[in-house]
Amino acid sequence: MFDLSSRQAKIVFFAALAVIGFFLFFPLYWLVISSLKANAELYRVVPTPFPTMPSLEHFVRALTTGKLPMYLTNSLITSTCSASLVTLLALYAGFSFAKYRYFGRQPVMLFMLSAQMFPFGLLLISIYPMMSELNLLDTRPGLILSYIVFALPVSTYMLYSYFSQVPDELIDAARADGASDLRIFHTIVIPISIPPIVTVFLYSFMWSWNDLLYSMTLIVSDEKRTIGPGLLLTYLNEVNADWGGAMAASLVASAPIVAAFMFLQRYFIQGVTAGAVK
Amino acid sequence: MAKLELKDIRKSFGSAEVLKGIDLTVEDGEFVAFVGPSGCGKSTLLRLICGLDEITSGKMAIDGELVNDVPPAKRGIAMVFQSYALYPHMTVAENMGYALRLAGTPKQEIDARVSQAARKLRIDTYLDRKPRQLSGGQRQRVAIGRAIVREPRIFLFDEPLSNLDASLRVEMRIEIARMKDTLGTTMVYVTHDQIEAMTLADKIVVLNSGRVEQIGSPLDLYNKPVNRFVAGFIGSPRMNFLKLGARKGEGGFAVPGGEVRLPRDLSSSPVEIGIRPEHVELVGRGAPDSLAGIVTMTEHLGSDTYAYVALEGSEEMVVVRLSGDRAVKRGEPIGVHVDPAMIHVFSADGLSLASARAVALEAA
Repeated sequence: MFDLSSRQAKIVFFAALAVIGFFLFFPLYWLVISSLKANAELYRVVPTPFPTMPSLEHFVRALTTGKLPMYLTNSLITSTCSASLVTLLALYAGFSFAKYRYFGRQPVMLFMLSAQMFPFGLLLISIYPMMSELNLLDTRPGLILSYIVFALPVSTYMLYSYFSQVPDELIDAARADGASDLRIFHTIVIPISIPPIVTVFLYSFMWSWNDLLYSMTLIVSDEKRTIGPGLLLTYLNEVNADWGGAMAASLVASAPIVAAFMFLQRYFIQGVTAGAVK
Repeated sequence: MAKLELKDIRKSFGSAEVLKGIDLTVEDGEFVAFVGPSGCGKSTLLRLICGLDEITSGKMAIDGELVNDVPPAKRGIAMVFQSYALYPHMTVAENMGYALRLAGTPKQEIDARVSQAARKLRIDTYLDRKPRQLSGGQRQRVAIGRAIVREPRIFLFDEPLSNLDASLRVEMRIEIARMKDTLGTTMVYVTHDQIEAMTLADKIVVLNSGRVEQIGSPLDLYNKPVNRFVAGFIGSPRMNFLKLGARKGEGGFAVPGGEVRLPRDLSSSPVEIGIRPEHVELVGRGAPDSLAGIVTMTEHLGSDTYAYVALEGSEEMVVVRLSGDRAVKRGEPIGVHVDPAMIHVFSADGLSLASARAVALEAA
């Protein structure tokens, strides 16, 4: 660990923390204050550090006049569906990889993970014609499917790591008690794996909620558009750059994720650090 | 209650054969302990009996019925695991009733059986708690309770006390002994603690490298080990072994520190002798039938004192068990008296040769 006993070391350490903190939080801070500034203040040559006349006009406009609620609903549908399906599939796949020994187990797992090694933009080039062939372009199922493809490998691996630590004796005990393999999984393993399951759900939810590229490319009709491309095309396009609206809408768009994270934080942290000690 | 029969049981994991033909009969109501060093296959054998692993070859029967392909729950067997393996998200009552619930037992009957077992094990006040709210000893009781409620034909225990501290272990050992008397069910118990095996078992099976070395009552194994392995494994501190040197007259052999006299009618030529720490005595230098040595270390346990004696002219160390109040000075030159009637004699292949001691015991 770091030796922070000397005063100098402490100063250097905290200075480094402050720099990292600044880069992390300043954009967030700017997002919040910009969303509260009126347009006249927002476009000054010398920006103000605080809104002199805080107003909620951007928020009101974003929520009442634009299509933000529709985009949010679309994102909610797509993200919930893809996160649920990813979690469901990763549960069974992860358990199978962790607790069963069969031919091809390792290669299949490596093959799955190798999908993560390609840039997502590159994979889009091959996904697009596939979706087109399957008539899934500009459809929600098509978009959900592409999100599953990308979130599933890491999700499976996360659950695999957790399930590997579930003691074999627990499974043996349930087997000796007369439970079938599926029953053991449903009544013993899943109930004790809530933290990693929540983690995987949140991970895949964020993945699709924050996506811009896939949604922008695979969805063309405005009524199916998700929040990422929705924001971009509404507020920052060729004809206008409504920064105040963009900031307010971004805040609204990130609210569900922040709320979910705060609500499920306890599980999420447990899941991320599961097995770190003992 | 049930009789368990194993015939030429073999188990391989890939190309490694872990059990190399086990033959064993456990009579109805008998308590059998498997002992042996780590990796000898004792836990594997228990898992095969439970049905958690498949038998590679051989036959296993319970009450005459072949059970090789019968799933664990249908064998009428309950197992208590080393780590307790309690379901952490279920209460004590739910843990204990899980198997019955799976078997479709009516709820009222489950409740009745769970509370009856809980009373027996004095855990009836914890029925609503989760395992994490219990102490190690209480968890172990729940694990045993979970086995009892199933009213199995055979109980299997896989090192059930090894996670407990010393005083709890003694307490639970007594509990298991009481359970054995009151239930009268056939029990198979795996342990590496020979005190548990010696005190609880009617019959001990000593395993080594996937083979049975000897099966017998605790005292049989102690008094009449069939080979060097069993002789060294049973008894604590372990038996002292001395390599035999040149013959010295009629039945005499040179050993470090002096010579010993062995019976003349041995079936093959002896190469090594064994003598338990409790069958040697400290005497003055030069006393008859004694080996010369120097006390290098003593251990005072209160009830006993163990003296470690380095025999003259060799690296060999002999452990001598003395009464607790006996004072021995380190560095003291002494004699070690070996009672010829208590000597175990081993041949080159490690087999025990009919010794004077065995003959004496037969006569008794």
